[in-house]
Amino acid sequence: MPGDVISRFASVRLGTRGNQRKERGFGRVNGHHGEILQGIFPDDAGRLHRGLVTLPCDIVSSTAVFRPAPGILVTVPDDKLKAAEAARLTLDSLGLHDQGGHLTVESTIPVGLGMGSSTADVVAAIRAVADAHGATLGADEVARLAVRAETASDSIMHGDLAILFAQREGIVLEHLGPALPPLEVLSVNTAPGTGVDTVKQPPADYDDWEVQAFRPLRGMLRRAIRTGDAALLGRVATASARISQRHLPKPAFEEINAIAASAGALGIQVAHSGTVVGLLFDPRNPATTRRIAEAAARLEAFGLPPAFHFRTDAAEVRHVA
Amino acid sequence: MSLEMTMSQPLSRETRGFPDYELPRLVRLADNLHGAAFFLMKLLPARHMLDRAAADGRLKPGGTICETTSGTFGLALAMLAAVRGYKLILVSDPAIDEHLHKRLLELGVTLEIVEKPYEVGGFQTARLDRLRAALEANPGSFCPSQYGNADNPRAYAEVAEQIAERLGHVDCLVGTVGSGGSMSGIARFLRHLNPDLHVIGVDTPNSVVFGQPDGKRLLRGLGNSLVPPNVDHRQFDEIHWVGAAEAFLATRRLHQHHALYQGGTSGAAYLVADWWARTHPDRKVMTLFPDEGHRYVASIYNDDWLAALPGWTGLLPEAPQPVAHPSDVRSSWSSYRWDRRTLDEVLAAANPVARDLAEAA
Repeated sequence: MPGDVISRFASVRLGTRGNQRKERGFGRVNGHHGEILQGIFPDDAGRLHRGLVTLPCDIVSSTAVFRPAPGILVTVPDDKLKAAEAARLTLDSLGLHDQGGHLTVESTIPVGLGMGSSTADVVAAIRAVADAHGATLGADEVARLAVRAETASDSIMHGDLAILFAQREGIVLEHLGPALPPLEVLSVNTAPGTGVDTVKQPPADYDDWEVQAFRPLRGMLRRAIRTGDAALLGRVATASARISQRHLPKPAFEEINAIAASAGALGIQVAHSGTVVGLLFDPRNPATTRRIAEAAARLEAFGLPPAFHFRTDAAEVRHVA
Repeated sequence: MSLEMTMSQPLSRETRGFPDYELPRLVRLADNLHGAAFFLMKLLPARHMLDRAAADGRLKPGGTICETTSGTFGLALAMLAAVRGYKLILVSDPAIDEHLHKRLLELGVTLEIVEKPYEVGGFQTARLDRLRAALEANPGSFCPSQYGNADNPRAYAEVAEQIAERLGHVDCLVGTVGSGGSMSGIARFLRHLNPDLHVIGVDTPNSVVFGQPDGKRLLRGLGNSLVPPNVDHRQFDEIHWVGAAEAFLATRRLHQHHALYQGGTSGAAYLVADWWARTHPDRKVMTLFPDEGHRYVASIYNDDWLAALPGWTGLLPEAPQPVAHPSDVRSSWSSYRWDRRTLDEVLAAANPVARDLAEAA
């Protein structure tokens, strides 16, 4: 049981817990922009898992502050139920069953777009509670706590690491590399004002062909990361988006795809449980600035003005005028 | 079987098999031409079909498998049945290779040889009748039926994964078509990553798979006397028909020039892939070599046997003869723009040559 592992790990630190307890603990984590790839993947033993490869987006984030106190756990705002649950699980895993405190969570991540707002709140809360008690939890431990708090989690606790992550188990299926090849992403929200409840949504029921089709996508992804090939990454993302389109269709998917192709994008990626679509460009290509402007103009003319664009290899955001 | 059921099945690798023998070795033949050389290509679909049948209960532990085959699919089933403890009944005809026959018996196969062809339907129908009888005589037995079982093409996702991981982007895929499993399977998987993939199927004259009339064929392992449901005709941009003598000569050239000792279907694929790669030097070509050459020591790799072939010239054509309709294919290397159509669409389109002749008359 993952919980047992965490408890054993935590028990090692219990002797020094009192000395390391702080007045306040901080936790912070970036959001993401959906996935490059999401589907069904065999592990080393051949067993199938639901898995995903996240596209990190460091221009949005969640921050949590935790002030330990005896008694009950108070969370502000009080509708951050999963963050509160995660804080409780973290205290329990540290052996602090009677401990409570005051948790504050703030986020710049829009809700319901598939950009990781829920997991980011949860991860920030876990980190804040751990920090308040002088504990530094590894990403795998944070992932297991997050999955217990919210059933399925994004892999943002692993930072920019390129991993194939089993979102319902909180485990890494495959370490793909230190990071994805750099991308410049033009972000479009395909359903402004609606949003998707990512938790209530049932997991995609892929058919037998799709289950097998994820294998070559994973193969090409390995090569894209190993050789830093952003064009191959764009092919993988587009192929995964096409399969996703049969399960959680995005409005105007074909039109966005056509605009991406005509503007010279490498491909598109989607939030497989959300509403955002990213047009992917190669930041190392000098034509990218012009191409992004073209794509943004065409999207705007179509009635889907892009919200922003960002680079995955630099803390930089340019709002589309 | 639902996805959740599939995911909760026991692990396939708990069962014995030959994972390292299933996938091809990749060999670069030219700057833009890569070959995938299999030990025995049919091992991969055979294993996948047995795994899936075992997972959903169609094949019980220690159960019986019945199939009609005289080729490498039977050998693959026999290898898997031997290590997994299944009983295997194979229906074949007197044309079965003598050494393959001995090998199957050594692996514990019950071999039923149909001695006489039917007057209508030939050996094919006679074998299917015998297979039906074997299935009825062994209640609960499993028939993989490689021609129609959708797990056959789906098995090839692992080859597509290997190609995508090792080569990344591929512009053109060339391979022989028999059951339809490998080419229809790999083409559809790779095209999902590259909609512009150019797919060339290699058939042989007198095979009905791509619209030729049925007839006697010396080149085995590709083509068919029936159209297998697993052939997805819409995957193919271009079809080539390669005759036996050309295929055998190309098989020898593959060995002479590239030191790859493969069977006759590999030669047919190599002939077409090498030509396309030479005429499209800026495009990356992947081709499939389905089996090794050891079974053909006394035939393809024997100069006297080759020289005795009807119409043997010892010369290899430089390029295919384009034809306007599949019915125009003669005995030697021909090519046709299939354009991702169904077989019915192609056959319904009038043969322009026949039409012109009719109009002239």
